[in-house]
Amino acid sequence: MSFVVAPQTVDEAIAFLAANPDARPMAGGASLVAMKNARLIEASHFVSLARIEALRGIGPSAAGGLRIGGMMHHRQIAECADLTGGWQMLRQAAGLIANRVVRNMGTIGGAIANADPAADYLPVLACAGAEVELVGPDGLRRLAVADYLVDWYETALEPGEIVTAIELPAGGDGPSVYRKLARTPGDYATVSVACAREGAGPDSSVRVAVGACGPAPIRDRDAEAALAGRLHDPAAIAAFCATLAEQADPIDDVRGSAAYRLKLIPRMVAAAIRDVTGDR
Amino acid sequence: MKLEGSFPVSAPRPVVWEAIRDPGLMAQCVPGCEMAEQIDDTSYRARVLVKFGPISARFNLVIEIEQEIALEEVRSRARGEEGTRASTVSSTNILTLSEPEPGTTLVAWSTDFSISGRLGKYGMGLMRKKVESLSAEFVKAFAARLEESAA
Repeated sequence: MSFVVAPQTVDEAIAFLAANPDARPMAGGASLVAMKNARLIEASHFVSLARIEALRGIGPSAAGGLRIGGMMHHRQIAECADLTGGWQMLRQAAGLIANRVVRNMGTIGGAIANADPAADYLPVLACAGAEVELVGPDGLRRLAVADYLVDWYETALEPGEIVTAIELPAGGDGPSVYRKLARTPGDYATVSVACAREGAGPDSSVRVAVGACGPAPIRDRDAEAALAGRLHDPAAIAAFCATLAEQADPIDDVRGSAAYRLKLIPRMVAAAIRDVTGDR
Repeated sequence: MKLEGSFPVSAPRPVVWEAIRDPGLMAQCVPGCEMAEQIDDTSYRARVLVKFGPISARFNLVIEIEQEIALEEVRSRARGEEGTRASTVSSTNILTLSEPEPGTTLVAWSTDFSISGRLGKYGMGLMRKKVESLSAEFVKAFAARLEESAA
């Protein structure tokens, strides 16, 4: 038997979690409730974050970028008119999550807390250079995606800590794209790629992150710097793709073998780069 | 699922041999091990907490030594279950020691294990990664303990 409590503020939620070590925070519940019903997890209480006003909203961040409340639903992100240019990829990713029911129920904070390596937000956030904001009994901290993800399904979240927001740095005007290859629409990605262009001139560059091919998205800033100014050079793109594939650590699962994923990475990364450069 | 590996330890073989047969020391090195004790000459009991994403599973294990050659090899069998839940693990394990050069012991291990129940949800591909990272953690802790007691 477990109970649901619905605090009105972040402080109340944190205090309740601290006082009840067997309680779990619950965001939208799209994955968590299914796992509870399948008796995979248990809790004395589920602390619903749904009534906390401070976890809602999409707006400018103090740092001059964009702040997305942890309890924003995938549908709200998919429909957000502010997500253009360098942030367009986030909108695309949110719109490709599962199905309409899950997009209405699930939240970005919950998805990030669950940290499924094949889920859609992580590569986009890694590509954007986003920070995950965590609040717990010891206060607030913000971590880059690479520091937040520790291992397969393992994050830096401490017991009693919750994801309160995502902060994106100023996005740049360049186009961005999220490409997802899945067995069927709505499935988790077999391989996914987020790509954003920086600058418009001949020395412009791209930021690229590959998802579903390791415990965390793959991003290589040195390789990105080496590719700067050579976005129309097929040999340079091929070398860049090979560098990312070398860093992948995919698994064999129902969505594809590790070997298949390694073959997909160069093709999908090259296609994503063509998407943002307009080459065909 | 079969897995194997090996790692060197900067300690002579008799020291490593004593360490692997010391449940107290092993309990401190096995990630998530909350308790380990000897039941009789050839069997041990242990409680291990395995965390995977939102799932935390606490297994009560019985480890039986089936065959051992002093300083060289241990063959064991482990099985366990998670309280009243329908989660079980079982494994057969072989551990061999060799001393390629004096003062350095090479520990080679192989295991054939199966898991069913809650953690089975994640599939064998992911389970393999999890076992690899847990064994890397063990190797680090074990080598540190031995090198510290050898120093």
